[in-house]
Amino acid sequence: MNTPNIIIPPYLRPGDTIGITCPAGYLPLEKARTCIDTLPAWGYRVRIGQTLGSASDNYFSGTDDQRLAELQQMLDDPGINAILCGRGGYGLSRIIDRIDFTRFRQSPKWIIGFSDITVIQTHILTRYNIATLHAPMAGAFNDGGATGPGVESLRKALTGEPLAYQVPTHPFNRSGTATAPLIGGNLALLAHLTGSPSEPDTRGCILFLEDVGEYLYNIDRMLRQLKRSGKLDHLAGLLIGGFTELKDTIRPFGATVEEIIRDIIGDLTCPVAFGFPVSHGNDNVALKIGVNSRLRVGPEGTTIGEIY
Amino acid sequence: MNRKNFLSSLLTIGAAGPVLAASTPPAPACVPAKTTTATPLIIPPYLRPGDTIGITCPAGNITAKEIIPATQQIESWGFKIKTGDTIGMKDSIFGGTDAQRAADLQQMIGDPDIKAILCARGGYGAVHIVDRLDFSPLTKYPKWIIGFSDITVLLCHLHSNGNWASIHSKMCNSFPDDWSKAEPVQVDSILSIRRALSGEKMQYKTPPNTFNRHGRAEAPLIGGNLKTIETLAGTRSDIDTAGKLLFVEDTGEYLYSIDRMFWHLQRTGKLQQLAGLVVGGFKIKPDDPGEEFGRTLYDIVTERVAPYNYPVCFGFPVGHQKDNFALKYGVPHLLDVQEMEVNLTDVSVPAANTPAE
Repeated sequence: MNTPNIIIPPYLRPGDTIGITCPAGYLPLEKARTCIDTLPAWGYRVRIGQTLGSASDNYFSGTDDQRLAELQQMLDDPGINAILCGRGGYGLSRIIDRIDFTRFRQSPKWIIGFSDITVIQTHILTRYNIATLHAPMAGAFNDGGATGPGVESLRKALTGEPLAYQVPTHPFNRSGTATAPLIGGNLALLAHLTGSPSEPDTRGCILFLEDVGEYLYNIDRMLRQLKRSGKLDHLAGLLIGGFTELKDTIRPFGATVEEIIRDIIGDLTCPVAFGFPVSHGNDNVALKIGVNSRLRVGPEGTTIGEIY
Repeated sequence: MNRKNFLSSLLTIGAAGPVLAASTPPAPACVPAKTTTATPLIIPPYLRPGDTIGITCPAGNITAKEIIPATQQIESWGFKIKTGDTIGMKDSIFGGTDAQRAADLQQMIGDPDIKAILCARGGYGAVHIVDRLDFSPLTKYPKWIIGFSDITVLLCHLHSNGNWASIHSKMCNSFPDDWSKAEPVQVDSILSIRRALSGEKMQYKTPPNTFNRHGRAEAPLIGGNLKTIETLAGTRSDIDTAGKLLFVEDTGEYLYSIDRMFWHLQRTGKLQQLAGLVVGGFKIKPDDPGEEFGRTLYDIVTERVAPYNYPVCFGFPVGHQKDNFALKYGVPHLLDVQEMEVNLTDVSVPAANTPAE
């Protein structure tokens, strides 16, 4: 179980610097333009890493060495107060074991992102008990996103304004209350980390899950892996986010993702809330991983708010 | 495997510099293994003419008609067939509900007349029932479990929970409707099931490949579908690969996903202490436009096994393809990867049982 004395990095003050790096997939600079223009309007300086809009001609934003070096530099640089990942994709698993967290542990800073970023966020929580920020990344600022609720929650989170959300009820919800640290992120990556040195320890936590582009049967398989590896056994609560751009096999799976989850969690006794706005879609609010939060699931809806 | 060499190579890597040293991840958080090195391998009795093979659907559904080519062929080998209740059942993509599939397989596990259980097809669903099954009747009525793909769940589970040998091979849905029109390699693959079940000494030749890493190793052979192996991590069906020959295959995965799965193998401690690695067929899903991965399967594997020194071979005839030969799972094999030829040989059976071809 995560100890209650989670280490919370310092919140940002006007004039602080946010570094933007791409530790995984490639992101063209123009896709981060709105983000780069918005952060100064929030009062922050921006340091753009070379991996953003790099000369890479393949999937990654740079070689492993380049991505690692830039992330390492931003982790260690006292002039950078938070690290916003440009995008996810795939790539952190390739460098996670080569990151040196020594200075980061001495001077923690917020690591912001989701999707593939689940790898480093889970790793940091499991091994160092330091909070991270599961939140929209650079691309989410585009197409009006900069003024939307997801990016707005990121802005609030960075200032230290406590996060609290209200969500309508869902027929599959299970009522109850819990006060516990948040853990979670992308289902495929939580499954992928199982058995590794970055494996999430979900005991006593409120687990939140989201995923994108997966086959229904594979969602089922990954959830069963979580269950069979004991990760659903001692939960304080469960938040089901969005599962977007789902795929199905030629023979239809015959159940919705909500039905799949309802069936797998079976006899779980903790509160469960479906339809939480964390996802690869437009609904993606900031959540502080590792931070104690109070969850209430009732007939009138779901509320979750951090305890501060 | 020469453990002394292995250890000294690790030390060399550690001394080589921070980059290489760091590429060997720390020990995994947990590797559950019910089968210990002390658990003796149990090889079920090989089949004789007149013995009975049960056919069941622990995963995806199949119709009674679709298994006819398999039952006709297997009966022509002199075996009897018992068809399980789940053949012809359908519950969405499954061959019956979880309860029905578990009951059918459980009944066959406990049936003293059934000497082998052939899974009709893979698909998805074995993981739904594996924790409901009681394998203890196998002690009294040992038998072969046969299948691949999703059935990797059962093969891994049997290996890790009692060290039971099984057979990784094609299933009913791969038997050709018209035997006379089947390609020779397809016929050979299917006939290899009969040879494995009958106790023949299995030998496989693979064409040389410039990406192979040469060497010899004798060890139990385990593995299967790579994605399935990944999703067993942390569960009681997870495999301990130390000192073993690992074979892997997959279908329909993106290169990035294959890369991620090989990183998973490494980060869960499954590559470090292998005796050898056998890379089977990978049907790769093409990269999406603008998402070109920029690495081949060879690059992916070669990068991951670079810190170690065991033999590695590519293009082994196992996978979702016509050349998918029956492998005795959990049984000791000799992998011999040379420049001009690659041989994998079942060493559990004396040479006298080698078929005259």
